[in-house]
Parts: sequence; C-alpha cells; structure tokens
Amino acid sequence: MNEWEGFGADAHRYLDGEPFEELSGAELAAADRLAAEARDWAGRLPRLDPALDEAVMAAVRERAPARRRRGLGWLVAPQTVRFRPIWVPVLAAAAALVLWLAPRGRRAEVVLTPVRAVSDTVFVRFELAAPLARTVSVAGSFNGWQVGALTMIRDARGVWTATAPLPVGEHRYEFVIDGTRWVPDPTAHAEVDDGFGGRNSVIVVGPKGLVRS
Amino acid sequence: MQPSDGTVVHRVLSGDVEQYRILVERYRAEFGRYAVASVGDLDAAQDAMQEAFIRAFDALATCRDPDRFGAWFFRILTNQCRNVLARRRDTVPLEEVDPPGGARADEGLERGELGAALEAAMARLTPEQREAFVMKHVDGRSYEEMAELLGVGVDALKMRVHRARDALRSLMGALR
Amino acid sequence: MTRMHRTAIAVALLLAPAALAAQGAGIEDRLQARGLPAALAHRVAAVAADATARGVPDGPLADKAIEGWAKQVPPDRIVAAVQRFADQMASARDAVLSAGVPSPTGPVIAAAAEAMRSGMRPEQVRSVVQAAGQGAIAAPGLSVAAALQAQGLGSDQAVKIVVGAMHSHRSMSELLDLPSVAHMMHDQGMSPGDIEHRILDGEGGGGGDQGSGHTGEHDRPPTVPPGTRHDHDGHF
Repeated sequence: MNEWEGFGADAHRYLDGEPFEELSGAELAAADRLAAEARDWAGRLPRLDPALDEAVMAAVRERAPARRRRGLGWLVAPQTVRFRPIWVPVLAAAAALVLWLAPRGRRAEVVLTPVRAVSDTVFVRFELAAPLARTVSVAGSFNGWQVGALTMIRDARGVWTATAPLPVGEHRYEFVIDGTRWVPDPTAHAEVDDGFGGRNSVIVVGPKGLVRS
Repeated sequence: MQPSDGTVVHRVLSGDVEQYRILVERYRAEFGRYAVASVGDLDAAQDAMQEAFIRAFDALATCRDPDRFGAWFFRILTNQCRNVLARRRDTVPLEEVDPPGGARADEGLERGELGAALEAAMARLTPEQREAFVMKHVDGRSYEEMAELLGVGVDALKMRVHRARDALRSLMGALR
Repeated sequence: MTRMHRTAIAVALLLAPAALAAQGAGIEDRLQARGLPAALAHRVAAVAADATARGVPDGPLADKAIEGWAKQVPPDRIVAAVQRFADQMASARDAVLSAGVPSPTGPVIAAAAEAMRSGMRPEQVRSVVQAAGQGAIAAPGLSVAAALQAQGLGSDQAVKIVVGAMHSHRSMSELLDLPSVAHMMHDQGMSPGDIEHRILDGEGGGGGDQGSGHTGEHDRPPTVPPGTRHDHDGHF
C-alpha cells in the first residue's frame, strides 16, 4: 500500500506559485488537495497560551537580578538605535502634515459610488440545480468570499436558491458546493478568469433588478 | 511605533530586563504556529518555546546582529523543537499509517479522515522536511524568508519541501 | 512651493517606508482577521505597499488575497496572483492616465484592469474613460463594457454602446441596466449584432420606473430606455 507516489516537477512549481508547463487534472487535484488538507490541519492546531510570556519573564527575572538593579543604565550605554526618542513626536507631526498636503499618497479603497436612485440595493436571486449537493452557498465580492455567508435552500427537485440584497454595480461570485467545490453560475452575465486558474461569475446589477437566464 | 529588535536587545543588555517581554510577545506570535505544527503537540510546543526564550535570554550577549534577533531566536527555537520531537519519538511508539477506505477518489472521503492521515504522515517526515513543509504550507513563507530564518539555501529548501510533499502524498495513500 | 512644503516632502521621503508600513499594517490586520497566517499576510502587504507607491489601489489586492484564501489556493500562488493583479492595475493606470485623467481613482483603475484582463485594449479603455468625463461613471462604464463583451458583443461594439450611452447622457442606472437588457434580448433569440443595433438605436418605450428592491426578472418589458432623459434619478 506504500507505493512511491510523488508529485511531478510541474506540480511542485504550481504549488510554489511558479510558472509551469503542463499539469494533468489528476495531478492538479492532488496538489490542491494536499495544500488544502495542510491548511485545514493548520487551522485546527491549538494556539499557544499567552500566559507563556509571563512564565518566561518569571524565569528570566530570576536569572538576572544583578542586571535589574542597574536600572536605567540604558540611557548612558552606547546603542545603535535608529530613532532617538525625542525625534518621534517631530516625525509624527511631519508625517501628519505630509499626508494632509499630499493626498495622492493616500490609500484608495475600492468602493463603487452608489447610484442616487430610490433604492441603492436590489434583491438578487441566485439559483443552482445540484441535486447531489449536501450544502450550497454563494461566496463573492459582496460578502468577502466567505463560504458560509449566503447559504442556499434546496427544494424537492434539487434546485438550490437564495435571495440577497446587493448594492447596484458589478459583482463577482461563485457557488460553493459542500464547502469546498467552487463552481461558476451558468446564468450570470459573464464569466472571467479569477487569477488563480479558476473562474468567477460576473453580474452587473442595475437599480431595476437583474435579468439573466 | 514598535521598537526594533536591536533597540530592545540593547535595552535588555543594559539592564532593563522587563523589555525582554516585547521580544517574547513578538516572537511567540510570529513563530507560535510553527512550533505547534512542527512538534505536533501543544504542551510540548509550549515547553519548547519557553525553553527557547530562556536560552535566548541567557545567550543574548552572543547575538551578533541584534536587529535580526528573530532569525537568531528562530534557530534556537528550531533546535528546541527538534529536541522535544526526538524525546517524544523515543517514548511514543509509531502506529502504522492505514490509508482510510482503500483506493477511493478524493470526493467521497470526509475531510476529517484525511486530516488524521495527514497528521500521522507528518510524524513520519524527517525534522528538516517537516519544518520546511510547515514554514511553506502553514506559515505561507517565501523561500527567501525561509532561507534567511534557517540559514539554508533556497534550492536546498525547495528540495526539502518537495520531498515532504512527495512523502505526504505517498504516506496518505488515498490522494489519487 | 513654500519652504515648509519642501521640508515636509523631504521628511516624507525619509518616512516613506514608515508611512507605507503604517498603511500596510491596515492591510495586514484585515488579512489576518480573515484567517491568513501572519507571514502570508505580511507578504501580501509588501506587494500592496509596493503597488501603492506606484499609484495603484491596495483594496482590490487585499480582496484578491482574501478570495484566494477562501478558495484554498496555496499561499505561494496567492502571492503570485496578487503580484500579477498589481502589475495589471499598473498597466491599467497608464491607460487611464493616457485618457487625460490626472489622478485616476482606485475604482477606475480596478475596473480598467478587470476590463483589460477580459480582453479590452488600452485604447478602448481610453475611449470609455474619455467619454465618462468628470463624473464617477467611468468605473461602472468599464465594467458594463467588459460584461457586454463577455456576453458575445464584440469589444468594439461593447465600447461603442457604452460610449454612446455616456454621450447621450444616460444615467448610471441605465448604464448598469445594459447587461441585463442584453441578456434578455439574447434569451429572446436575438443575435449579438441585433442586440447591438437595438441598444444603440435606443428602442422606444417609457421605462422610467426606477423600481425599488423588486426582483424584476422576466416581468420587465423588453424595452431599452431611449436616449432622451426621463428622470433625474441616478443621473450624474
């Protein structure tokens, strides 16, 4: 049962975020699976207790009573600090002035300017036929790509639906089946490359609502 | 603005021992996940980390580049983690890794089952492979960062990570 | 330039790494809040800080990293994708600059980058941005053009429609409606060429209803709001 089964060089390059030549569907799936399992496993790991800090300090204090008594010796001791404390308030003030004077340096957030219509948001209905799925949800730009944020409800025929209020404008999303399988929406306006080798569905929502097939 | 490592080290060496807490907090946050993942056990990882901080304190004057205390401390931590791992291997017998459910396609398997297989498979990697895999896939570090922290070349590190992946795939068996 | 201004800028250059670091800290916190491990968040923030220095918005880069993390993309591939997106936005920024816009905003750069990624050429981006003029209609215009193109209308046709809509002062809501309209026409069996003609001709009917919050799928009349304005709602 322990037959050698490694990955090809291209699979390693793929996982390392480097350009690769060719990858079979099976290799790709195995690579993704390993990375996902490692990720899940890491997520389940317990965290170190911050109380560790105090335990360390207690031990450290015991070891250096002599050092402690010297107290503020650091003020006169030679040191290679980058900023002397007195400069910090001056620099901070200068920084504030610069940011005020040169707004171009500021970070720009992507916020689609809302339409000044009667209503900024429109109810949008999502639908997917997936009789074999156990759970389906919608994850996209409007909910931070969170897998559990918009869960869908299954009807007797195996058609899943969900309705959500979305701001007008362009949105990207996919359906997530059983928490791990991401699939685009065949009824969306468009489908685009997601930058990771997968696809995203695109809809453009106008104030009158959305039309798709 | 947070004081640099070098600043804090100098303060501690000049007598302000309480300042050491800044480094402890900083690097517990930075390397905690790595410690737990490489050792595989919370208590043992905490012991390793605590021991590493104490040793680093004792040897602080020998830190040649205080501005890069983190990388220096990391070596000490890695050694402690390996010590802890070695001790545990001596006492806990390794179980046979049974790939769950036979040769099934990925789809049918529960995530939990594969997770247990991964856990067991990780224990079978060499310490170097395990550390490198954790830094790459758990911490999400770049090879350059890893090289700086471990003092090993990028090519050698790639080889460790690749071998770790190969070994895990093979050991887990069900990833077909 | 006053002496104070010059000094301030000199200090700014000195502080640039710190200022960028402060901005980066916001991105890092946001990424870590979403579960990205610290080292990965740090790498993405570094790419974002570099992008900001090139005049590119970092919000979309953080969003892209969050998307990758949600999709369980391996860390190195997330970083590579974010870097590629930053580069694409830098090119898009150049295209928007060449349209005569002195300080392209984040939304326009991001929309232009996505449009170019879908195949729109720089000169086409330029046309849309120029037609948009001073208003905030450039970004939605680019998104709509990209969507129309993806729906099967040629890129030149899609751009023509959007530019035409802007020149006839159609409101943003009418613009945003176009992909739905095109989709409806496609369902009715019209060819892309026909769709293009119908939309450009601004086929009749009122359609002044700015409906609030109704699903409005197949119950809408198959008309396109004419070139003449009917409402001031949503007009920029």
